[in-house]
Amino acid sequence: MKKGLLVLLVMSLAMGTLFAGGAKEAKYPTKPISIVCPWAAGGGTDRIARYFADALAKEVGQPVNVVNKTGGSGAVGHLEGANAAPDGYTIMNLTFEINTLKNLGYADLTPENYIPLLQFNEDAPAVIVSANSPYKNMKDLIDDIKAKPDGTFKFSGSTIASAWDLPRIRMLIDAGINPAKVKYIPTQGAAPAITELMGGHVDVITCSYPEAAGQIEGGALKALAIMADSRNPSFPNVPTLKEQGINVSGGTWRGFAVPLKTPEPVVQYLIQAFKKITESQEYKDFMSKGGFGVRVRLGKEFGDFMMTEYRALKDVMDAAGYLKK
Amino acid sequence: MDTILSLLSPEILIPWILSMVLGIFVGAMPGLTATMAVALIVPLTFHTPPIVGLAMILGVSFTAIFAGDIPATFLRVPGTPASGAAVLDGYEMNKQGKGPLAIALDLTCSTLGGLIGVLILITVSPILATFALKFTHFEYFWLAVMGLSMSAVITKGSTVKGIIAMVGGLILSTVGVDISTGYPRFAFGHTYLMGGINFIPVMIGLFGISEVIRSIMTTSLNDMGNAAVSASVKADFRSVGRVMFRNKRLIGQSSIIGTLIGALPGAGADIAAWVAYGMAKKTSKKPEAFGTGSEEGVIAPTTANNAALGGTWIPALVFGIPGDTITAIVLGAMMMYGLKPGPLVFQGDRVLVNQIFAVALISQGFLLVLGFFGIKAFTWFFKFPRNVVMAGITIFSIIGAYALRTSVFDVGLVVIFGVLGYLMERVTIPLPPFILGLILGPMIEENLRIGLVKTDGSFWPFFSRPISAFFALVLALLFLYEPVKKLVRRRLSRGGT
Repeated sequence: MKKGLLVLLVMSLAMGTLFAGGAKEAKYPTKPISIVCPWAAGGGTDRIARYFADALAKEVGQPVNVVNKTGGSGAVGHLEGANAAPDGYTIMNLTFEINTLKNLGYADLTPENYIPLLQFNEDAPAVIVSANSPYKNMKDLIDDIKAKPDGTFKFSGSTIASAWDLPRIRMLIDAGINPAKVKYIPTQGAAPAITELMGGHVDVITCSYPEAAGQIEGGALKALAIMADSRNPSFPNVPTLKEQGINVSGGTWRGFAVPLKTPEPVVQYLIQAFKKITESQEYKDFMSKGGFGVRVRLGKEFGDFMMTEYRALKDVMDAAGYLKK
Repeated sequence: MDTILSLLSPEILIPWILSMVLGIFVGAMPGLTATMAVALIVPLTFHTPPIVGLAMILGVSFTAIFAGDIPATFLRVPGTPASGAAVLDGYEMNKQGKGPLAIALDLTCSTLGGLIGVLILITVSPILATFALKFTHFEYFWLAVMGLSMSAVITKGSTVKGIIAMVGGLILSTVGVDISTGYPRFAFGHTYLMGGINFIPVMIGLFGISEVIRSIMTTSLNDMGNAAVSASVKADFRSVGRVMFRNKRLIGQSSIIGTLIGALPGAGADIAAWVAYGMAKKTSKKPEAFGTGSEEGVIAPTTANNAALGGTWIPALVFGIPGDTITAIVLGAMMMYGLKPGPLVFQGDRVLVNQIFAVALISQGFLLVLGFFGIKAFTWFFKFPRNVVMAGITIFSIIGAYALRTSVFDVGLVVIFGVLGYLMERVTIPLPPFILGLILGPMIEENLRIGLVKTDGSFWPFFSRPISAFFALVLALLFLYEPVKKLVRRRLSRGGT
């Protein structure tokens, strides 16, 4: 008798959770959502993530928080995002670094550890030199690098194997220069690299145009090229690398993803909600004010883009000697 | 004058003062840093006029850096990283029942230091900013070595034990991704170790939790129920004027050190405080009093860290280059306000620059008033029995460490280093050199190694560049002057007999 009751109880409990699960799926979301940001509060990625948190909260009617999980060049945050419960209540803010973490030996993570939702941003680095340097275009610069003895030319831009470093290596290889011919002075980000360039301690830096816009428009620095497919309407007088005969484009990007095994309806729900936000004029204004480019790739297209980049960057890292085998 | 009047409208004053009140809370809470407060305020200000946002940011940073000294003085827990050096003599004074005087000195000297820093910012920033650009890896290397050498200056007692502590900190600082090669070191495949050992939880553990453990070990059960601090904890402002007048040269010296170090893009308020403390001891008539509750030991770091804040705005306003993590966030925020940070802001729209200067000056006045109430609010905490206070410190330390990066790993660090700190003090190994090693290790290593990459392995530029040579000379003088003088004197006296 007692045993029967127990079985009944367990059964009903199990059924209960089953129904509860079903109900939850039908009316997702029913509780606050977190966005895991792998970079510190106050930085570029964090600023955009907080914009999305506000916009998404209005869209889904639940509070959305940004949680900063920083450290290890983005490894800590990306790991948290991949290992979170696949219930749609933890959204990962993916950044460019997901394509390099595994090959640098920082974390066993690739884009395939997530279900991609969408990409919402893309920024190409610009090639920036001091305003009083003799270079007028990329050809001048490339010719001078080729003419100078090995190791005299100093590049900077950000950390090793970052979104500003790897396109630089691609550019050199495409221009027929061995990346080892020049030096790379690693810094903690674009700001210290700009400082180095303004102080005359390095020759060239690669970082996004808006990061150095104040100094360029103030007449201290000049941009020779951007590594994009076409010119940017915000600074139309900066030519692309392709226009100048170097067939390289690419840079950093940001996007959202959820852990593997997240239910398909939740994935679709989030893609639609985010898509709506990225289509709004308010979002476009926010991004352009902050100096961020808008590029949207949805779902599988985003996943395919990441994997193509992942494979291409592996070769670049190998050429630069960064690859951890 | 018009500039000042334009700021006195409620739309600006209310958010400005509220954010300064928030700064007191954030600063007094271990683990919550001024940078974090600024990062959280910035998204709120996107829809306000730029000056409202900038007033909130300036306000919160000045009060937070001061308020960090409150728990440093009363609880031996630095409220912000910039208050690490404030622990040394502030807490000693507190143990002697002179905590109220120490905290009153903190408030007035913070205000004065902040004021001097802002005045330097207003008057000579273009010159200083151009000078700061001359600094690169070679110069930062020497600056960091100078900071580290302060651990020899501030160590009481056994030099060997001081060195042991410093090397311990240095070794710990090598954990994590190596910036010059991108290679993970001592991480053992553990992703959290890749990020390195953050010095904030270590500092909270070493100073704060270890003091809780010590207190539990030494206080008898009967005493646990008594109030934590028997004397009335009230800011003692009567003798402050006299003490400050006596130390007017030191206040000037520390303000200038603080502002200069703040103006360098590669160093901020925390290093400024340590260097000011060390220099104060080196130039003091009573160096032996340092570390035992010396007034000078309280004045120097608290003046320097607030002065550094003014300094950090120098490269930010002149060149659009951040002087520290706070101004880095400010520059990002300025873009959202539709301003182009950089030379154009300084040359173009003088109205805004003048408003920023006025806000920074007036904030010092607000700091004096709000800081006074902040101290008052904090002191009711001490009316609780000792056991409640100790539990409170532990809880706040752990919450603060977690809030830093929302990471349980950092909470573990607080506990581990709390126990380690207690054990180190039991065998009289000093804690400050350990912290200095941990903070400055990466700065020394990074600048040395990247400097050597630049020069193909030659050490020559470390000595041949003018500013590098100057630093090397100062260091040599700092440490060789006394022994050489003694040697020469001994020779001379021997020659005479």
